[in-house]
Amino acid sequence: MRSKAAAVLLAPSFMLLLAFVILPLLWVARVSFNTTVDGAYMVSALTLENYTRFLGSPWYLVNTLWFSIRIAVLSTVISVALAYPMALYIARTSGAQKSILMTMVLSPLLIGLVTLVYGWIVIFRGGGLLNSLMIALRVYDEPVRYMWDLKGVVILLVYIGMPYIVLSLLDSIERINPSLVEAARNVGASPWTAFWKITFPLTMPGLHAGLIIVFSLNFAAFAVPLMVGANDTQMIGLVIYREALLNNDLPFASSLSVIMVAANALILTGMGFVFGRLILNRLEATR
Amino acid sequence: MNHATEHAIQVHRIFKQYGRITAVNDVSFEVGQGEFVSLLGPSGCGKTTTLRMIAGFIMPSGGTIRVNGRDVTHLPPEKREVGFVFQNYALWPHMTVAENVAFGLKLRKHGKDFIRNKVEEALSVTGLSGYEDRLPRQLSGGQQQRVALARALALEPQLLLMDEPLSNLDRALRIAMRRELKQLQSRLNMTTLYVTHDQEEALSMSDRVVVMNGGEVARVARPFEIYEDPQSEFVADFVGTTNFLDGEVLRTQGGQAVVQVGNSPLQLVVDSEMPPAQGAPMRILLRPERVHVSRDRPEGANVFAATVSFIEYFGPTIRYTVEVEGKRLQAEVHNVDRPLAISSPVWVRIDPGHFRLIDRKGA
Repeated sequence: MRSKAAAVLLAPSFMLLLAFVILPLLWVARVSFNTTVDGAYMVSALTLENYTRFLGSPWYLVNTLWFSIRIAVLSTVISVALAYPMALYIARTSGAQKSILMTMVLSPLLIGLVTLVYGWIVIFRGGGLLNSLMIALRVYDEPVRYMWDLKGVVILLVYIGMPYIVLSLLDSIERINPSLVEAARNVGASPWTAFWKITFPLTMPGLHAGLIIVFSLNFAAFAVPLMVGANDTQMIGLVIYREALLNNDLPFASSLSVIMVAANALILTGMGFVFGRLILNRLEATR
Repeated sequence: MNHATEHAIQVHRIFKQYGRITAVNDVSFEVGQGEFVSLLGPSGCGKTTTLRMIAGFIMPSGGTIRVNGRDVTHLPPEKREVGFVFQNYALWPHMTVAENVAFGLKLRKHGKDFIRNKVEEALSVTGLSGYEDRLPRQLSGGQQQRVALARALALEPQLLLMDEPLSNLDRALRIAMRRELKQLQSRLNMTTLYVTHDQEEALSMSDRVVVMNGGEVARVARPFEIYEDPQSEFVADFVGTTNFLDGEVLRTQGGQAVVQVGNSPLQLVVDSEMPPAQGAPMRILLRPERVHVSRDRPEGANVFAATVSFIEYFGPTIRYTVEVEGKRLQAEVHNVDRPLAISSPVWVRIDPGHFRLIDRKGA
């Protein structure tokens, strides 16, 4: 009767997913084939014109889809580069030191996004702390524009993405039995070689998990480009928001949503394939 | 005398302190070329810490470690050229059996053919031919153990350090692997330092045993010396089972002493090469298999009437607890005669040469 008990326990979460994820997505998919008529909210139809309007436009493809992918890749890569050493370091600590570091790493998730962004504005705006410091230290003479600019978007996406990568890497690192590294040292590997040949490959499951979360968040980012982006920051999440809520063009916004989900799924599948071939297939059953 | 050529391992007065805790306290011993030495002791006795210091995974707080005459005390593990087999095997899960074995050879920049031959050789020696492309998770515990051994042997190390390599295997496999390991070690004449808490393993495999207790060396001797003449209460108690009897020397005659056992009318005739002084307090050690139990009254010294009070049936042997003049003795006999029943009256005889005496100064 184990399957029956499992079904009872899984039912609430399944219902929740159905009601708030699957059904709305299906509705969005359906709406993406509707049309808008001046003066009317939208008209039920079965047309592909919303898709051709986006996919047929080089401007949209380059400035929205490709732009979003590039920003997402860039900020995800920077997050990983910063998070990896941090995770390695935290894995070696314990007790109070570890708690303090973990709290610091998780703080971006604990503070609300709006509070976070306004805090960053204080630091990064034209006459803000960072520019004052840099000018005082004579790193540069003129204030650099960070906020309401692409730099600010990337900085914030990196900052928000890091905790997820640190957390998932930390899990992988802490699963590695220290004797695996000792065994490598014993047969002649330097600490550096032991890291690249043993530790690093064995953290790939954690890195993969972190990449899935952070790339998806960055690719679909909406609040960050809205609050600190410039007018030409046409990230796809932001464009969807504008079309749906400012231009009242729900069918077009819906088709963009479908394209966004599909592109993300495609990228994650490709990434999963590469990771699988590289290492995960070998580790699979042990995890 | 030149120690450099004499000893494969020379551990000299090493210490390891963790804060105020001393894990290893002034430990010294040597391992000769081709010798099989075990570090035997209960958990927490410092045997694994000692082994890990020789491998370079832990730095000693003091003392020196020499491997084939070379001072390796402050060398990192990769510079020590010693093989190590871990208790949990420590196979790299993302590498196949062949890749695990080849890893160290590749680091030494050997040619492809050379590596392939060495891997093949190491796998065939450990009985793993045909498993080259398996991943560790696709192997049984015993097979993983063999891969760990093959990985160490492929580098032809000057000596092999093993940290309880068999303790994760079930009993039948453990005994089979024990024999195989010992035969392989003899055949390759591989100097081996072997950590175990299993006295059977230590006694059956070793040329010499280093018994450790509380971070210190309790005894270094050949297996039969350890068992037959433990020389200390700890060794007697940890290795095998021992009857302890406290008493005083009543009188000495020739090469024998008569010991009056405390709180009992029991008087034992004990062989003693160097007769102790009259009235000296003594602790007597007596192995259970040296206590003879019979239905009929035997002839000779140390014959006493006794009663069986407890029986432990082991199969090949039976251990009787017998009461002699208010003292309890354990006697282990081969399961060849008709078993005795509880409360049955029996005769106990102990050969005067089978006791061991320890001084009981101030006890």
